[in-house]
Amino acid sequence: MRYDVLIIGGVAAGTKIAAKTRREDLDCSIGLFTEDDDISYAGCGLPYYLGGIIQTRRQLVVRKPEQLKELNNVDVMVKQQVRAIDPEAHTVEVLDLESGESRTVGYGKLALATGARSLRPPIPGIEMEGIHTLRSVQDADTILALISEDAIGHVVIVGGGFIGIEVAENFAERGIECTVVEMLPQILPPFEEEIAKHLEKHLRANKVTVLTGAKVEGFEGEGGRVTKVKTTKGVIRTDFVLLSIGVTPNSELAKNIGLELGLRNTIKADPSGRTSHPDIFTAGDCTGTRHVITGKEAWIPMGSTANKQGRVAALTLTGSHDEFPGTLGTTVVKVFDLFAGRTGLGMKEARDAGFDPVSCMVTTKDKAHYYPGAEPISITLIAEKGTGRLLGGQIYGRGVVDKPIDALVVALSLGAKVENLSKMDFAYAPPFSTAINPLNLAATVLVNKMSGKMQGIGSLDLHERLLDPDWSGLVLDIREIPEYTISAIPGSVNIPFTELESRITEIAGYKDKEIALICGLGRRAFEGYLRLRKHGFVKAMLLEGGLKAWPYEVE
Amino acid sequence: MSTFEVDAKGMQCPGPIVEVFKTMNKAKPGDLINDEVTDFGFKVDIKVWCKKTCNELVSIAENGNVIKATLNKA
Repeated sequence: MRYDVLIIGGVAAGTKIAAKTRREDLDCSIGLFTEDDDISYAGCGLPYYLGGIIQTRRQLVVRKPEQLKELNNVDVMVKQQVRAIDPEAHTVEVLDLESGESRTVGYGKLALATGARSLRPPIPGIEMEGIHTLRSVQDADTILALISEDAIGHVVIVGGGFIGIEVAENFAERGIECTVVEMLPQILPPFEEEIAKHLEKHLRANKVTVLTGAKVEGFEGEGGRVTKVKTTKGVIRTDFVLLSIGVTPNSELAKNIGLELGLRNTIKADPSGRTSHPDIFTAGDCTGTRHVITGKEAWIPMGSTANKQGRVAALTLTGSHDEFPGTLGTTVVKVFDLFAGRTGLGMKEARDAGFDPVSCMVTTKDKAHYYPGAEPISITLIAEKGTGRLLGGQIYGRGVVDKPIDALVVALSLGAKVENLSKMDFAYAPPFSTAINPLNLAATVLVNKMSGKMQGIGSLDLHERLLDPDWSGLVLDIREIPEYTISAIPGSVNIPFTELESRITEIAGYKDKEIALICGLGRRAFEGYLRLRKHGFVKAMLLEGGLKAWPYEVE
Repeated sequence: MSTFEVDAKGMQCPGPIVEVFKTMNKAKPGDLINDEVTDFGFKVDIKVWCKKTCNELVSIAENGNVIKATLNKA
């Protein structure tokens, strides 16, 4: 048996390569092997399948093998494990996982879309029953069966990444108690710490327990079944553990034949999807790529990236030219009724990549404030000092975040500067946006900050100052008295904006000390800031994003 | 005992709570203050404010898009 084009792997990238190859070449023979029972399933939908939002398995499986045969004339062979590749002979050795028989299959061009698998680190007790991962539809079906037997009363989710948090929400929505254990100091590490803190608070408000900075040291159980998770922050009794620590690329087949590997053992590919062997191509979660902003190697496996890479690889192996420009690390996540999205570089990533970055956070409404359903969003823009080149952006809130994030993706992809973003002609009518578009506004504020017209301080930095006994500054809340009564930053003092100039002598001692001005969203604080500067308070600054974006304690 | 009416419909935060605050300052202990507000942030705000200032929130109800609250000045 021989195929002109042979594909290993059948989820997003594999099936995309198959379908696109067929569209480019109606005559070649195409074969696809996968170890799974299913092909073309929506792996990213699995948390919502667990939660019952997606009710049937069929909704998640986009195409069945016979459909790919009928529509694209691709021979799909499930439960087939490719054991080895012989690049000289152009053959692969395949094991039929059901019959246990091996056979050799020839190919003209080979595409590796082997994906990635969940990490299972060697933690003591990890082999016990009741410790699961979530990667395939079968994994989800196994967990759903336990849920329907009422066998899960409490879940420990190890890993506070995107999947871990989405699963936590879905378990909690089913009324199952949930504890998320994250080793790092914050959940969702691609987000800036102050945003992650808000998401963490929101999980807690929805009865999900979150332990950060907690390392799992071992699992204990009875009769081979897990009952306890030992962490550096205490022991948690549970009857189910979901490991969502991350994934590792399935690159062993490539490694065994000496193909060049890249970052974190991904299969190294050029932008067209070529590996270091001329007849072998690669796409999807097993494949390394570049970061659009830094140009450096990157690996941020996502279904959205896999599909684009698959298309490019198919074009390349059928003789056309195409290139995948790389990833921005764009993601968006729902945490109950709070949403967060990010794209490009975070502050730390930007510094690590050699940029001198500046950021600014702005809180505003997603729609006209008078239109029903208008909700706040907080936008953090990150740019390079000096050039003003946009490097990244992060947005969270109850309002619409995916639209401005996608607009930022376009801006970043085309190399826009903050100045450009401040004047782009975004769509406006009251049900959709604000007359001063949130991105226009955020960019304008960052332009002000970069040109020295505004001095801001982020929540994180102000919080650090408050914890520092040597800090001699003042936190000055300029909201009206009842607003201040309702909630305020501990240790802050209140002079309403309307009385600020008449009572300026009260704060005269802070002329050469730092004064952080606080208001609800940041606008009044800017007005107050301008007046304090006029009166010679040279180190006045405003809390960026306002109290709304303050993730720490209020009283 | 007097009754005060606060019409803060159409005002957005912090307008309504500031109006209530000003009226409370004019009122005497035992006076009632009836508020009509359309900004839904007021619902949580007024509860917390009453608790912190020891004023009594006699009633709070939603009627369509309007929140009606009655306060008793302590």
